[in-house]
Amino acid sequence: MKIVFAALLALCALQSSAQYDFWTPKEAFAIEVSLENAPSMKRLPIYRNAITALAVSGDFILGGTSAEHGLAPFVFAASLSKRELVSFKDMNEVIPGQRRIRSGFSKGNNNAYYAGTIPDDLSRGGGRLVAVKLNARGEIDIQDLGSPIPNEGIFSLTIDAKKNMLYGISYPTGIFFSYNIATKATRTFRDIVPTPKELHTLDEYALGPDDYLCKALVESAQGLIFGSFPVNKLFCFDPKNQSFQVLSDSIPEVWGRKSLGQVESWAKAKDGKLYGGNAGDGQVFELNPITKKVKNLGKPAMMPHVKGLAFARDGRLYGISGGAPGYTHLFSYDHNKGFLDYGNPEFDMVAPGIEQGIRWRGFRIATLIASEDGKYVVMGEGESLSQLLVFVAEDK
Amino acid sequence: MNMKMKGLPMRRNRRKRFGYLPVKPAVFFMALFAAGIFSAGKAIAQEITEKNMRFIEYDGFPEGSSAWNSIGYNPYDNTVYVGITDHRDKVALYVYNASKDNMQLKGFVSDMARLRDFQWQAKIHTKFVAGKNGEMFFATDGGESREEYLMENPKGYAGGFMLKWNPAENKLTNLGMGLQYESFKDVDIDTASGKLYAISYPQVHFLVYDPQSNDLKDLGRLGSTHVPRMLFTDRWGNCYYVDWRQRLVKYEKRSGKLVFAENSLPAFEGTPGGYIVTGITAFAKDEARGVIYLMTYGAKVIAFYPQEQGIGRVEDLGGAMDIEGNEKWRYYIPNMNVGNNGKLYYLVGGHGMYAIKDRSVFVEFDPKLKKPKILFEYPSTVFVEATGCDTKDKEGNLYFAGKRNVPRSERNKGNLGELGDRPTVPFLVKFNPDKTVQ
Repeated sequence: MKIVFAALLALCALQSSAQYDFWTPKEAFAIEVSLENAPSMKRLPIYRNAITALAVSGDFILGGTSAEHGLAPFVFAASLSKRELVSFKDMNEVIPGQRRIRSGFSKGNNNAYYAGTIPDDLSRGGGRLVAVKLNARGEIDIQDLGSPIPNEGIFSLTIDAKKNMLYGISYPTGIFFSYNIATKATRTFRDIVPTPKELHTLDEYALGPDDYLCKALVESAQGLIFGSFPVNKLFCFDPKNQSFQVLSDSIPEVWGRKSLGQVESWAKAKDGKLYGGNAGDGQVFELNPITKKVKNLGKPAMMPHVKGLAFARDGRLYGISGGAPGYTHLFSYDHNKGFLDYGNPEFDMVAPGIEQGIRWRGFRIATLIASEDGKYVVMGEGESLSQLLVFVAEDK
Repeated sequence: MNMKMKGLPMRRNRRKRFGYLPVKPAVFFMALFAAGIFSAGKAIAQEITEKNMRFIEYDGFPEGSSAWNSIGYNPYDNTVYVGITDHRDKVALYVYNASKDNMQLKGFVSDMARLRDFQWQAKIHTKFVAGKNGEMFFATDGGESREEYLMENPKGYAGGFMLKWNPAENKLTNLGMGLQYESFKDVDIDTASGKLYAISYPQVHFLVYDPQSNDLKDLGRLGSTHVPRMLFTDRWGNCYYVDWRQRLVKYEKRSGKLVFAENSLPAFEGTPGGYIVTGITAFAKDEARGVIYLMTYGAKVIAFYPQEQGIGRVEDLGGAMDIEGNEKWRYYIPNMNVGNNGKLYYLVGGHGMYAIKDRSVFVEFDPKLKKPKILFEYPSTVFVEATGCDTKDKEGNLYFAGKRNVPRSERNKGNLGELGDRPTVPFLVKFNPDKTVQ
């Protein structure tokens, strides 16, 4: 015991930087998803594994990645109970030429999860809609649903599962589209495409489509689709009459930084209210989908970005603030306590070869999701070698 | 610049050892003798005396407390460079001319690199590496907590900076920053192309920088919670680091890509994960024998035989220290040099980790015998800790960046200790196993 204590003391001494305790929920762990040159283990190779789409399906975490230029992404499944990667599929073997899966996964009927891709070279074709299914062993089946818009990738996506309809925004133009899963009928709308004047304004601030297109869409309980468009505006699409409404309330802004306004994440509360995150300056806001009024809840940290938001079973809204070039802070929000900052998440990672466990620190987290029962909150890194960080929310 | 050179108030291992040790430790060390841990007194060991080692002090910077691997040799003019820091915002550049036996304070980094107050730098944590025309390259560090946690706050960190010293002109050139909010823990160089390799803190990104074209490439994150402190190169200019599994990662110069070893470097059974992720703490190149010796944070000595393409062969040479009752992996050794005699030399101790309670020991390790042998033993107020590796001048003298604890005094009203804000005094260690240096 003395030896262990001395070792810990010594390690603390070496790691004298750790003046802060890292947040330690009762149950938390990291899963090693990526490791270059690991032929004896299931691992994703370097530069192809930034985890930019997540869902939880039963015991499995379903992940979609983004790759660097010239490389293809993966779809993968990791087991929550085994705490390991169980399968992955190289998108190049399914649909060649794709580079990013950043739309998130939208759960449809029959346990199908829908996502969109962005190709490596848009001149060679558009991004694809895909339906992903996992079997009981976590094996992955990917169905190619085709490209809704020629030479445009799919930047964001959501679903009206009851109506079997997908809604998305294209990349780089920002065309809104709907896709009927049953009939494959696609409709496109240019209502939220930035005007030449708006593009000029954005160009003055050296901003590109990744900086201003709506990164996340959400369907309200009333069946309306909400999202953002430049400059700093919120819209609502009503599928009944196929019309757009520009909300009178805008994305909360820091004066002078309106050009950075961009919804990056959404979460839907049990009472139907929507909670959004602004990439530009990191505000979290509440949107009443009936009154369409926005309440600025403030900034959980000093940094920009809210790359993920999700409600857990403890009733708290969890999110991630910050990211490159600094690093991520995990935070929670509830009406009583407001924002709580848990800092940079760091959990234990155990795997073959590192059975004693190492600590894994999530510097650059790219997305966050909760399981449907709210038990698990899962975070995916956006690194050259990205891993998963998972914690169990307290049972209320 | 005046230079102070002191004799060594140390104890040679076998001389009057027990005279100043309490009874129980004396019995303990007798047991160690019996176990063959200490030298039985071979001829070469007997030739190494206090006169083989010298401590050289730094004048002109009384606030300076330490050096953090910030040492390196310049073959251009047979000089040894050291960065001495107050561990807050002042870093001095010292150059020791081995030919003239002269130590000079060249100036302070913040002034010479034209940094503003908000660009404070707390350390040089990198070694100094020599370019082919005699320039010396190094980079700055924020000193950790203030940098890491305040980050983008106006009280936070701007840096680190890559720097170039021109000895012919006595001029420091600021080559610019690496990644935003990230400092540097180590650099190395491909002398043929002039490209610098660097590792960032705290996010452990491997960077390649070309000073000619100002092109900076970020090859991504390689580590976990702790940043391994050591990069090293082979004779072809390839650069090596470790990932979080303590596997060698090679930047292959020819392809411009990272190559990962499939297997981890050897480690003792039971080595904690926190030690594994910290990787290599020192290296020493024996170019004549085609081997690079590595020291791990888990106290393994490893012989690595690099090859131009792919990862080379690795040989486990065993433990760096072996004191009965101590865990084999629990020795603090962030320093190492190889003598012209082919043997390794390093100080064990510091940062709260000691082979012998509160005492640091200077060790000779024979790669052929795969055995460590204690040469000298020091109270922490004489010599507590050393950093620096692979620093040897043309006469075969080996150099370490040493420091000692300040005894309880007006300056130190707390306990002894080299951690945190407790005061220490830095000095340069010059050692030659084959001849006297005093």
